[in-house]
Amino acid sequence: MLKVENVKKAFGDVIVLDGVNLTVSPGEVVSILGSSGSGKSTLIRCINGLEKLNDGRITVDDFDVSKPRDLAEARKRSGTVFQLFNLYPHMTALQNITLAPVEVLKRPKAEAEAEGRALLASVGLGDRADAYPSQLSGGQRQRVGICRALAMKPRYLLLDEVTSALDPEMTAEVLAILAKLATDGTTMLFVTHEIEFARQISDRIVFLEKGKLLVDLPAEQFFAPDGGLAQPRVAQFLSKMRKD
Amino acid sequence: MKIDLTILAPYVGFLAEGALLTAEVCAVALVGSVILGMLVAIARTSQLAWVRGLAFAYVDLFRNIPFLVQLFFFYYGLPEIGIYIDAFTTGVIALSISGGAYASDAIRAGILAIDNGIIEAAEVSGLPRRVIFTRIVLPIALRTSVRPLGSVLINMILTSSILSTITLNELTGNARIVTSETFRPFEVYVVLLLVYAALTYLVSIAISLLHRWLNRDMQPEVN
Repeated sequence: MLKVENVKKAFGDVIVLDGVNLTVSPGEVVSILGSSGSGKSTLIRCINGLEKLNDGRITVDDFDVSKPRDLAEARKRSGTVFQLFNLYPHMTALQNITLAPVEVLKRPKAEAEAEGRALLASVGLGDRADAYPSQLSGGQRQRVGICRALAMKPRYLLLDEVTSALDPEMTAEVLAILAKLATDGTTMLFVTHEIEFARQISDRIVFLEKGKLLVDLPAEQFFAPDGGLAQPRVAQFLSKMRKD
Repeated sequence: MKIDLTILAPYVGFLAEGALLTAEVCAVALVGSVILGMLVAIARTSQLAWVRGLAFAYVDLFRNIPFLVQLFFFYYGLPEIGIYIDAFTTGVIALSISGGAYASDAIRAGILAIDNGIIEAAEVSGLPRRVIFTRIVLPIALRTSVRPLGSVLINMILTSSILSTITLNELTGNARIVTSETFRPFEVYVVLLLVYAALTYLVSIAISLLHRWLNRDMQPEVN
């Protein structure tokens, strides 16, 4: 269980998260929607320990990310995929994927490489294992980014606007992989602007607005007139997003 | 006056010995200054104010003192308080310390240029700090630092000629001996000019190759 309890986060005077509560159970796909600056990315960054909380608690399978002693274990259980890929530029696709399994999980190198190659093949990059990030397209880089996170066999996959830096064609190739992961039962917390896609793959959709979690509903209910749409801010957001 | 390089023939071996000593001193000092530069670069990004202050003080201090004065202090000054160091070791230490100040700048610039997102990706994957530094930060920093570090090395080779003043018979030291034996400074120093130029040219070629190798992902792919 991934639990976010009454989390508060401010940068100086700007309150970014204002008492957020959220629970993700194993096997669930939860999408986070909200306009830019609503705190979505910061929430992800709090969960993986990149930002310190001002108040509240986040636990990943009971490991508290605010406790230095627990953080390493919490991080082993969650994998993050970033908007701008953040691949290691001096390493090949395969090396990007095998570094952490070998160094953190102490997996034998040959085993990690075999698994890395299998992961790359599963995202259609079987022949690009030895390419460097600079030799890959954006969509290919993000697929490597997903493989790098999956190689650690995380219980929770955190996805932070992973298609925002991609053109529609590349977005489609990355979303196809995420859809497959969702079907396979991967637990995901998915920050996105791809509303229709979120609707298709999510069990639940939550809506963040100015650091507060306004709505937390099963996906279909989120789009129902008496569900999420009953919230004026959600209705406004959805109609604006659909117009764009 | 007639120029006659052949009079140097008997001294070729002697000069080569000096060149070898120059190479040895510089090789050891290169390792010393890069290690020192790395430690100081890390210290300069430390969260502890006094560690940062100490590192900045070291860099500022040794960049603002003439090398000759540093050298004399180590070789002629320290024995006064009972610290005796032989000429070779003194040369290595002095070159390492002054080279380290410049190397730390080059390495620090390389570290600061790294996209923070890359380091965050390494952190969230659970990699320990030591691994992040040795496998991610340092190799990426070196991609940009290697050229300025090359300049530090070339400067070090040039500066090493000053070591002849503390009785170390490296290339320049031996050349001075040859001059005093042959009374042919023109020939001797022409050769010396060429040898230093060749030595530093070779180093800059090696640095270019290293730079290319470190940035090999930027090469067009060979299919």
